[in-house]
Amino acid sequence: MAVWESSAADISPPAVAHAPSWATTVDHKQIGILYIVTSLVFLAVGGLEALVIRAQLWKPDSHLVGPEVFNQMFTMHGTTMIFFVVMPMLFGFGNYLVPLMIGARDMAFPRLNAFSYWMFAFGGAVTYLSFLAGGAPDVGWFAYAPLTEYAFSRGTSTDYWILGILISGIGTLATAVNLVTTILTMRAPGMSLGKVPLFVWMMMFDGILLIFALPPVTAAIIMLLLDRSLGAHFFDTQAGGSAILWQHLFWFFGHPEVYVMALPAFGIISEVVPVFSRKVIFGYESVAAATVAIGVLSMGVWAHHMFTVGMSDALDAIFSGASFLIAVPTGIKMFNWIATIYGGKLVLASPMLFALGFLAMFLIGGLTGIMLAAVPIDWQVSDTYFVVGHFHYVLFGGSLFAIMAAFYYWFPKATGRMMDERLARWQFWLMLAGFNLTFFPMHIAGLLGMPRRIYTYSADRGWTIWNQLSTVGAAMLAVCFAVFFWNLFDSVRRGAPAGDDPWDAWTLEWATTSPPAPYNFEQIPLVRSRRPLWDLKHPEDPDWEHES
Amino acid sequence: MNSQGQHNAHGDEVGESIVMPVPTAAPLVLSLGATLLAAGIVTNLVLSALGAVVLLWGVAVWVLQLLPGRGEHEHALVAMEMRPQPIAKAIIAVAPRPTSFIRRMQVPAQIHPYSSSVWGGIVGGIAMSGVALAYGVVSGRGIWYPVNLLAAMLMPAFATADNAELERFDGTALALGLVIHGMVSAGAGLIYGMLLPTLPRWPALWGGIVAPLLWTGGVYSFMGVLNPVMNARVDWPWFVASQVVYGLTAGFVVVHSKTVSVGQTGRGSGNETGSPPR
Repeated sequence: MAVWESSAADISPPAVAHAPSWATTVDHKQIGILYIVTSLVFLAVGGLEALVIRAQLWKPDSHLVGPEVFNQMFTMHGTTMIFFVVMPMLFGFGNYLVPLMIGARDMAFPRLNAFSYWMFAFGGAVTYLSFLAGGAPDVGWFAYAPLTEYAFSRGTSTDYWILGILISGIGTLATAVNLVTTILTMRAPGMSLGKVPLFVWMMMFDGILLIFALPPVTAAIIMLLLDRSLGAHFFDTQAGGSAILWQHLFWFFGHPEVYVMALPAFGIISEVVPVFSRKVIFGYESVAAATVAIGVLSMGVWAHHMFTVGMSDALDAIFSGASFLIAVPTGIKMFNWIATIYGGKLVLASPMLFALGFLAMFLIGGLTGIMLAAVPIDWQVSDTYFVVGHFHYVLFGGSLFAIMAAFYYWFPKATGRMMDERLARWQFWLMLAGFNLTFFPMHIAGLLGMPRRIYTYSADRGWTIWNQLSTVGAAMLAVCFAVFFWNLFDSVRRGAPAGDDPWDAWTLEWATTSPPAPYNFEQIPLVRSRRPLWDLKHPEDPDWEHES
Repeated sequence: MNSQGQHNAHGDEVGESIVMPVPTAAPLVLSLGATLLAAGIVTNLVLSALGAVVLLWGVAVWVLQLLPGRGEHEHALVAMEMRPQPIAKAIIAVAPRPTSFIRRMQVPAQIHPYSSSVWGGIVGGIAMSGVALAYGVVSGRGIWYPVNLLAAMLMPAFATADNAELERFDGTALALGLVIHGMVSAGAGLIYGMLLPTLPRWPALWGGIVAPLLWTGGVYSFMGVLNPVMNARVDWPWFVASQVVYGLTAGFVVVHSKTVSVGQTGRGSGNETGSPPR
């Protein structure tokens, strides 16, 4: 890979040089970095909670932590990873990259953008303040009513969960509106929607998905708060309320939420794979169309989380069918990425390694997802560790592998320095091995009947070996993330200068300095194809001669 | 933008400054206020009151930012040496651009006509019927037994029928059995004919042995759902034999039909690579 001459030789980045400005910044790049750094802090905390869970399950009849603490750990781990790690991390990348990729100077609403970040940060803080107020939430990340009603969940821990999610949710909704508006209104001249980078496509549909999916769960959370605080009975079955209503409202958000976390990851992969395969993405239109299809279909599959609640056979069949159907556009994307790789001149740098890891892990998660879409199988393994294994393959294997690819790919743009490639490879192999060692045995434990959320088990169940493998894998993941954090920390200070365009890439963010000036571009670029930098680098064969 | 006639590294004319939003604490203050307002619900309502004040303060600061001339400023361009380098012509080799949207070789280049595939399927179906009838005779169940078992897929009345009933002639069952058998035979022949040119050598092996065995394996797994009556009574060795006879016969007909060329689309017809067309 060529390292292009740096235009910011002293690596004194204009966007990050003024430390006191972080609290008042409205610059999308600084806000993106704030999102990412805050998410990394939460990642470390959520990871520690996972380690407590795995340490507790290391051996049968363990009393390392009691059931109360165990419940708090898995609740906070799930809540943290979904609401305060994966989603905001992806929003961080979206914040940083979308205006750069579309040739804009900032987001459409810069102050609203800052507001979104602070709401997310304060929402996370409120959730964690519960530790200081008598105990963390212990009701699971889905907080099923009526178990979260005051009768079954005394104290204030559940209220902290409600308020934390509510506050950060408002910020998330604002970000969604901001992203969609930015992409629809602030693209560079010539950049039609058919020419935006696929990451931007994915972020736009991410925003649209959130705008539809978040209000119902926000309403549900407020209803739960009213139940608990003011004696309303929305979910109180003994007073005419409905327990199933919570599940419908929650999962109407909860399933699209999976795609809210997956779509930006798909976008990252759609940027990384072509650059490191040295080929144009195979089937740009079909990737974009599949994104739309996934967005639409994901709104109609929420009840596949509820096959065991006793809905009618007809409803089960409809949601099962819709769930199977969503495999089609997802499969189209997989084939597009593989077709892009096929026959390419592969450069196995760290972003590509993580992208390949994503493809393999997400495929496994997708296949077990298809199994779970079948009602009879879901009935058998619902609420077992099989499901835990499945969704970790989707969310960790899918999102976090892609996020790592994004870190290694765009870190040079944000800091002007390269990350250490040797450490990156150590991290990749540790992550790949640790991930599979942690989560694959969960499928087997689940098939052997191990339920989710149990804090211990007896030795005669046959689950011990699978739990021990998982715990060893979790320890490997801890080492992997320690390597990653060190690499980040060290590379910011001592990484090799990156230059403007270290990967010889094709999208607009690489046309400006690393890191970019606060205004991104002196002149808003004119775009003629999906790969504007390709056009400049290959004047003998520009893309715009081939694109309609 | 304030244009002063300077030029950037690309030679484009640029100004000395660019209008950008002014940094402000309003979003931070507003969100802090909202958080305190909410946090008071679980702690003390005094906190909520404080939060309301902070929130209003944040709103006020924010609104002030929106007044003309308050929320934006002229941001000076960074020093010349920190501006982007001109984008140079690529020095790295890349894979040739895929030419599939213009020209793509259709593989296989020679196929059997679809009509011969359908005919092959029908002839195979007739041969298969012979095996089924032979089974009826040899087993002592009679020649109507196999067709009644097949028709049971669509005839609820046969769900509880005993063997004696299934051995009798039934006009409806015969009609349904012929329709089912004819459609499946012709459809399978069509698929067979389409696949045959793409398979490696020994079409008799693929079509006569491998495909029937795979098909039988598939049928074995879902026969209980598809046709419980047949599932309870089917004689699997005879079933496999009938599938093999079907495969061999259909394959014989298809293989002996005259192949035709597949029309190649686009400007070229080969698998050429290189520079894309202009």
